Amino acid sequence: MMLIDLAANALASGAALGSIYALLAMGLAITFGLLHVPNVAHPAIVVAGAYAVALANGYGADPLLAALLLTVPFYVLGLGFYTFYSRAFELRGRGNSLQSLTLFFGVALVIEIGLVIAFGTDLRSVSVPYVGQSLSVGFVTLPYRFLVPALVTPAVILALWLYLTRTHGGLALRAVAHDERALSISGIDPSSVKRHAFGLATALAVLAGAALIITGPVDPFTDRSLLGRVFAVVVLAGLGSIPGTLVAAVLIGVAEAFVTTFVSPSWAPGVAFAILLGTLGLRPSGLFGASR
Amino acid sequence: MNNRIVLERVSAGYGAVTVLHDVSLEVREGELVALLGMNGNGKSTLLNCILGFVRPTSGRILMEWGGRVTDLTAMRPHDIVNLGIGAVPEGRRLVPTLSVEDNLSLAGGVRRGRGSPAETLAFCYETFPILRERRRQAAGTLSGGQQQMLAIARALMTAPRFMVVDEPSVGLAPIVVDQVIDAVKQLQTARGMTILMAEQSFFQAVEVAARAYVLSHGRIIRTVEQGRELADGEEIRRTMMGMA
Ligand SMILES: Nc1ncnc2c1ncn2[C@@H]1O[C@H](COP(=O)(O)OP(=O)(O)OP(=O)(O)O)[C@@H](O)[C@H]1O
Ligand SMILES: [Mg+2]
Repeated sequence: MMLIDLAANALASGAALGSIYALLAMGLAITFGLLHVPNVAHPAIVVAGAYAVALANGYGADPLLAALLLTVPFYVLGLGFYTFYSRAFELRGRGNSLQSLTLFFGVALVIEIGLVIAFGTDLRSVSVPYVGQSLSVGFVTLPYRFLVPALVTPAVILALWLYLTRTHGGLALRAVAHDERALSISGIDPSSVKRHAFGLATALAVLAGAALIITGPVDPFTDRSLLGRVFAVVVLAGLGSIPGTLVAAVLIGVAEAFVTTFVSPSWAPGVAFAILLGTLGLRPSGLFGASR
Repeated sequence: MNNRIVLERVSAGYGAVTVLHDVSLEVREGELVALLGMNGNGKSTLLNCILGFVRPTSGRILMEWGGRVTDLTAMRPHDIVNLGIGAVPEGRRLVPTLSVEDNLSLAGGVRRGRGSPAETLAFCYETFPILRERRRQAAGTLSGGQQQMLAIARALMTAPRFMVVDEPSVGLAPIVVDQVIDAVKQLQTARGMTILMAEQSFFQAVEVAARAYVLSHGRIIRTVEQGRELADGEEIRRTMMGMA
């Protein structure tokens, strides 16, 4: 009985955790998975989003509502960021070079330092009425601070899926990952599609930031512990697969929760990579990636 | 009105290698013109210059249409397409993971003010019924001939005045080759489309084309006017192959 109890709780909290990981990784699934831009600054942008949400929450705004409104300025920020990146690298034919990776590491550092200067190194959190309360069903207990952000992910994925399959802009985004020339021939500017995609990914980062800071307190360096995990999720999913991102993240979340419960919490951070290495050995293109 | 596409002494290449040398040609409204040449003689390079994928190192490419002259030489590919130049490129360049219909609506989604996308889509399906049948299927799962038809249909979706078609028959079974070439010819005769088509197969092309330019080592070595080709056919074919 005790064992089933523990396992059920690990499963529930792992699934919720995984769902939140998926949201953290969603922007990267677009920039890295679809556009092949190695945006290692994505977690830092997520943390910046968390701070923006905390700031709005300080004025009494609901974190999720604030994040929804903040997607607009973050989108614009993403457009600007991509324009700079493409001028500096892509248009000179050095898109996936080590230099471009360095640029993104630099941006992550600038964001971290900017947050330290502006807010100090203290942990920040948001206050919402449901923090501290839990949902209990049978012997499973799940804190709302996990459950609420975990429920954001399916909604975001549904919206993203509708966008990618039902709209012209979404089709163009899926096409640009394959063949930019196919877009040009269709009369569409591939760089504007990529710019828009980058804006979209940056807008998703602020939603992820809200989820992150509802889950627990955040400091300017929280991005560092997220970086490996979100890349593991995107690669495990198979580059560019949006539903795959959710499955991969939940897989990692549940595995981490089980390791934490039954082995030791100190092993948990390695779980994502153990799963990643094991899977890539069998399926080099990831769980849902197109095998070439 | 003298609607036409003109190349004026175009030279182009890749890096230090010059592939096209001083190529001049024209395609007049309503014409189907063939660009003949064996492998590696610069056909695709020439068509890619028109489409803006390859930048000429000298010379100009002009579109003279409706009393207006537009210099395409420095324009970006999608702007060239939106100006009314449809492309059926080498290798087809479809999006293999998108469905047939999504490939088409991608190209039909930009409003260009030349007919409605829904009408064009209906016309594409009428011309290629197999595409309607397979419209939900991923483009990558079509046969070679069907993919070529999709590439042609996609070009139509951009509402072109002029179409550039690069070796539509390459890699297809002989019976399919005839279908595809016929479809291209139909566009010209039934729709009045203006077409420049690269081909290797001399007799195939000359049968349908009003004129043909023969490209050898990046130079136009011969222009074949309609009516003369059959008499000179064998000789021209030998020139093309570098045997004469
Ligand atoms: N992207 C490229 N980079 C460098 N050289 C190229 C490139 N594309 C073509 N070439 C070279 O330019 C020359 C002309 O090639 P092009 O593709 O224009 O010929 P083609 O007549 O279309 O041949 P095919 O019938 O095989 O398609 C060839 O020598 C080829 O090797
Ligand atoms: Mg070619």
